Amino acid sequence: MAQKKAAERTSRPGAPHLLWRRDGDRCLVTNDSGHYAWLGLRDFEALMSGGLSDKHPLYGDLAAKGFVRDRLDFEGLAARWRSANSHLASGPGLHILVLTLRCNHKCLYCQSAAAGVGARDTDMSPATARKCVDFAFGSPNPNITIEFQGGEPLLNWDALTAAVLHARARAARAGKDLQLALVSNFSLMTVEKARFLMENEVSICTSLDGPADLHNRNRVYSGGDSHAATVKWLRYFQEKYKRQVPEYRTFKPSALLTVSRCSLGRHKEIVDEYVKLGLEDVFVRPLAPIGYARKYWDRIGYTAADFAKFYLDSLDYILKLNRSGVVIREKMSATMLEKVLNFRDPGYLDARCPCGAAIGQIAYNYNGDLYTCDEGRMVGWDGDDAFRIGNVRKDSYRKVLTGGAARACVLASNLESQPDCARCVYRPYCGVCPVYNYETQGSLWGDMAVNDRCALFKGTFGALFGLLKKPANEAVLRKWVQK
Amino acid sequence: MRVSLADCALETVRYAAHAASRSARVFIRLDGPGTAVVELEPTGGCTAAGAAAAFRAELADERLRASLWEANRELRDFMLLKALAGEPEKAPARQDDSGLTPEQEKELDALIAQVEAEIKQEAAAGGAADPLGITKTWEDKYGAKKSRRKN
Repeated sequence: MAQKKAAERTSRPGAPHLLWRRDGDRCLVTNDSGHYAWLGLRDFEALMSGGLSDKHPLYGDLAAKGFVRDRLDFEGLAARWRSANSHLASGPGLHILVLTLRCNHKCLYCQSAAAGVGARDTDMSPATARKCVDFAFGSPNPNITIEFQGGEPLLNWDALTAAVLHARARAARAGKDLQLALVSNFSLMTVEKARFLMENEVSICTSLDGPADLHNRNRVYSGGDSHAATVKWLRYFQEKYKRQVPEYRTFKPSALLTVSRCSLGRHKEIVDEYVKLGLEDVFVRPLAPIGYARKYWDRIGYTAADFAKFYLDSLDYILKLNRSGVVIREKMSATMLEKVLNFRDPGYLDARCPCGAAIGQIAYNYNGDLYTCDEGRMVGWDGDDAFRIGNVRKDSYRKVLTGGAARACVLASNLESQPDCARCVYRPYCGVCPVYNYETQGSLWGDMAVNDRCALFKGTFGALFGLLKKPANEAVLRKWVQK
Repeated sequence: MRVSLADCALETVRYAAHAASRSARVFIRLDGPGTAVVELEPTGGCTAAGAAAAFRAELADERLRASLWEANRELRDFMLLKALAGEPEKAPARQDDSGLTPEQEKELDALIAQVEAEIKQEAAAGGAADPLGITKTWEDKYGAKKSRRKN
């Protein structure tokens, strides 16, 4: 039987919903399902007007990615969107316990505005720590991460051990996957403490700002040499990681870099220090003018343009090292690339839509007060409780998650409702931070046209998409997110 | 700068103004029902001509975005609703490693049941006797294999 002839098209179908940015004689297009393509301006215009012939060499690729309106695979595109956004239905997975506000360091940029070592009234009690763990396990998320922070969390060892043991017991009963993480400056680490942490499979993260002079200038420690302590214990945990024992998993230690004004221009030395210590990730993070850092911004801060230059110089150097066989990734790029190349959520809560405030993470202050995130807690410590969402002893999980601050953050960080973001080519991969907006622009919504964080994110995405156009760079960058 | 509202909606002018506010303060007022007047006051190092060119480029893009949005609103809503209403991702079902299809499994179960029933019948009919020792293992009948190694 003769096949029925397809109906003749009476009008051009035009383009489906897509986002774009012009870049010289090329145009970057993206869509809700996270696909992207580079087009010449003539091809872009043809696509937009529905005049792109199905014989065009790019047609098949564009159609497969959902850029051709009458070739949309709704099932496939919807499944891709659903998969990348599956966290929306899972509840908070990251629970940050601030075990104490005390710290033996006085870092130039310390956002947590640490209290002095004697201020024991800012210690979390073991009972409150266990209560926080119980609250965390109230989340429906099957994967719970509890991160211990401070101040310096090793100053409150009793609460740390209480929380670790209680969490392990709760996880065994609940059948949930539990990850425990400690962020410490290592100055109070001992072999006994290290053994307890390893036996309970607590992963370890520290701060490393670069070579000794830079690190010690940023991270002032009256009790000795902060850099020496950091390096000593990093090496210890590296060795333990290499010599795994059958009883438990030992994790590779990691480090966080905070870029202050003193760091600018020293990207090579900083990256070399990370490589020398066997660290495979360097997270080039900008300093946020939040809480304490905001007050001293004129001394320690920098412009978005200054940071962008530092970031791009660092990335360029890291790529050079990669091409010569050195294993090192820039973490922010790797996180963004996970979204761009794999359209998977890398768990970076600051770049989700809506952001992770309350619905992805909760910060637990030493006294049991709950905040949308650690940045929100820092604003609280500075005297403004706009981001406080409850107290672990007084409020139910439901009340906390449906409270005003949590809702406001969800609404304000929905990119669909942000006038600039809704139209931005990077929207499928990006996220805004209501706390940053509140602190720097006086509103949860912010004004993205003149927002420094937005400029930094745009700069990062712009650099990454630019690098992906060159095959030699693309090969390295794809390797960073291969699984 | 005068913009005819017959060519684009006031909302489109507003979005373009928002985008152009990176390099200029933008003021919009209506001059009668059909015209918007846009005034640009450059900030930073931008010139007046530069700010006007930036606004015109943003306005052209914004008009394209508005028409694209209108034409695709229903399609996009459909796709996102489909994504939101779809089954959440489940862990893949544990794979059976027997390599049998469900039909083959059923046949096998039936065969096993049949054999078991026959064995029961034989046992009930005195079939437990085994004069040839065929139910014995090799080792029961002939003993375990001896090592050839010399100690």
